[in-house]
Amino acid sequence: MVGNNAKEEFNMKSKLYSLLSIIALIVALCGWAMPTHAAQIRIVTTLTDLADFARAVGGDLVDVRSLATGVEDTHGVPMKPSFVPIMNRADLMILVGFDCEHAFLPALLEASKNPRIQVNKLGYVDCSKGIIPLDVPKSTDHSEGDVHPYGNPHYMLDPVLAKTAIANIYNALVAFSPLHKAEFTRNRDAYLAKLSAKITEWEKAVKPLKGTKFVSYHEHWPYFAARFGMKYFGTIELKPGIDPTGRHIQELVTAMKAERVPIVVREPQFPEKAPKRIAEQSGATMITLPIMPGGVPNTETYIKMMDYIVYTMVAAVQSRK
Amino acid sequence: MMKKVLFTLLCVFTLSTQAFGSDLETRIQAMEETLKKQQKTIEEQQKIIEELKEQIGNRIAAEKPKAAAEKTAPSGEIQKQVEELKEKVEKVAEAQTRTSPGIFNPSIGLVGETVFGYRSRGSTETGSARPGGFDAFQRSVELNVAAAVDPFAKAYAVFNASADPITGESSLGVEEAALQTTSLPWNLELKAGRFFGEFGRLGYIHDHELPFVNRPLALAEYIGGESRTDGLQLNWLVPIEHYVSLTVGAGNQFGGDNPPNYVGDFRNGSGVNYWGRLSTYFDLTPNISIEPGISGLWNPNTDAQWAAAGGVNPPFPSVAGNTFTERERRLWGADLVLSYKPLRNNQFQSLTWGTEVLYSDNRYDVTDSSGSALSSRSIGSVGLYSYLTYKFHRQWSAGFLFEYVENQVNNQDKTYAYSPYITWALSHWNQLRLQYTYTEPNAASGRAADNAVYLQWAWIIGSHSHGWQQR
Repeated sequence: MVGNNAKEEFNMKSKLYSLLSIIALIVALCGWAMPTHAAQIRIVTTLTDLADFARAVGGDLVDVRSLATGVEDTHGVPMKPSFVPIMNRADLMILVGFDCEHAFLPALLEASKNPRIQVNKLGYVDCSKGIIPLDVPKSTDHSEGDVHPYGNPHYMLDPVLAKTAIANIYNALVAFSPLHKAEFTRNRDAYLAKLSAKITEWEKAVKPLKGTKFVSYHEHWPYFAARFGMKYFGTIELKPGIDPTGRHIQELVTAMKAERVPIVVREPQFPEKAPKRIAEQSGATMITLPIMPGGVPNTETYIKMMDYIVYTMVAAVQSRK
Repeated sequence: MMKKVLFTLLCVFTLSTQAFGSDLETRIQAMEETLKKQQKTIEEQQKIIEELKEQIGNRIAAEKPKAAAEKTAPSGEIQKQVEELKEKVEKVAEAQTRTSPGIFNPSIGLVGETVFGYRSRGSTETGSARPGGFDAFQRSVELNVAAAVDPFAKAYAVFNASADPITGESSLGVEEAALQTTSLPWNLELKAGRFFGEFGRLGYIHDHELPFVNRPLALAEYIGGESRTDGLQLNWLVPIEHYVSLTVGAGNQFGGDNPPNYVGDFRNGSGVNYWGRLSTYFDLTPNISIEPGISGLWNPNTDAQWAAAGGVNPPFPSVAGNTFTERERRLWGADLVLSYKPLRNNQFQSLTWGTEVLYSDNRYDVTDSSGSALSSRSIGSVGLYSYLTYKFHRQWSAGFLFEYVENQVNNQDKTYAYSPYITWALSHWNQLRLQYTYTEPNAASGRAADNAVYLQWAWIIGSHSHGWQQR
């Protein structure tokens, strides 16, 4: 009996040693397979607008990857394990903030095992810093739907507030690599000059739309409406993240008819059926607008996307006259 | 101008160094040092200039609208603007003090789950802990608490109160309570305490998070419910450009229904459960992915666990007049999840096919009906489940689950089960699921086939995180 126990112990030990040897071999192979340190600053952004800004400010000094491709919902980027190795090696993690990415980013950050980009670390770049949020909820109670406790996170659709995001990215790059401050400053100034010129152009183009009311599927547009003097009438969703009920749609249609709301905005991440029905029943025009670069064809950059949004909106209103 | 001055200074310094220096190498080094110092001085001065420029710019920007407003707007308008600004600032201040999942410390959430059911056969014929006929089962009330411990670790606990199937009384238990490191080097993460060990795809998922109503039969048979353990687990994200995750762990027991080994006695290394898992992931297209994994569980010496748990020995029913006592636990698993999740509207449409195959190769001591010891033997048995879930609406999904399992002591005892199910998620926090299950055990099992209908209602209040495991 004692002999049997000793034999078992020996077998167990030899199995454990085999297991440890395999692990050691894997470690050694990984050490061999590890990529050499890249010269560029490795940036991961949650959304494509941030990636566009990071490329504009960082120039050749940065290697930028975006988790979203542009077609996703800003709150619903799939948590792909293939993101994990990319985030694991990132120097900077740039995000929208205001809990915009709460459905996927916290879990991905934990899985990335990269201490440099965790919350409150130098590499965690929250672009909402310095932005005064709209629609801060009075309560985070779920009876109000999937509310964002810090306020509406879709400030990026206001190009003036986008400048604050650019400033945050610039500050993060300078803090990470002070030696390249001059280049970052030059890039930032060049981009801001271009963006400022476009803002003037967009404001001029949207002038005839001042006071125009519109509805959208999700609460993406309050910042856009505030910037360009339009009136954001309501959402097709019953509450944030909650699909509309038949009653809500009926009430919305009635209110839109009474208030003569001419535009229904459908974000391409949401099904067409409800916005189309509402537009038909209320006599409004439905347009499909992206919420981040790449959302629809020919909107690969932020400026192209805003061009698309502004001129599609203008064309839709003008076509009704 | 400044650069010229600095350049002149630099030249003078360099020339004087040349004049006085004797050794060439020393001179070059000195020059380099000087250049560095001068460069630093230039950078510092440029920084001061930039800051001054910024301050002036800000002052101008602040004064311009003020001056313009003073010129154009009446005092009432200014007052209105001030009020609006004040309101905005107050909103921000208010938001910062408000309770939210991210800022409340610790975050607390409560999950409730009730299962209404009807089974066509009684528990003696189904082997279920729940009675046949009509049943309302408050399966769990889970309190989840989580927070960072310090900059190096976080901790979480799950307390579960579930109703006893016999008495109906609820008993509160610690389902999980573990510490998890957050800043270990070399992509390592250590978890210690009571937790669900990583084995397979659904073994460490809580009941209410499963894609169907009941835990697959194969997991109940071979793992013993949820993969709960008291132990230590190390996860390593392999540092390559492709996702590969390796987990190893050791603990007193493994499986919520299994007691630990050698309670109150001396436990050597052979009395501990060891497990491991290797998983990877491939994007076949931007919308289609595949995630395979393999797992293993080994307990070198299990014969003392049941005897220690209230003197119940042997644990398994007699087979062909012989009694089997588990001596060594060996379990292997392979799992695969194939997903179609369109990037554009994955919240409204997706298709998931998940399959897990388990092979149990436990070793048993066998005694005959007179109590005489026979030779110990290993029994190989197989179990699997495979499900397909199609999400066709943000609130609706439907699927089908197929199950097959062999009794781990008697592999001739086989059970098949077929379960179509439909889920209605009114929101993230309120979900109803209707499932029909036809269970078909074979003649060797001594049980009868039965039809069952379940209605599961699960809800969440307070904080809930979209964890990595629920991806």
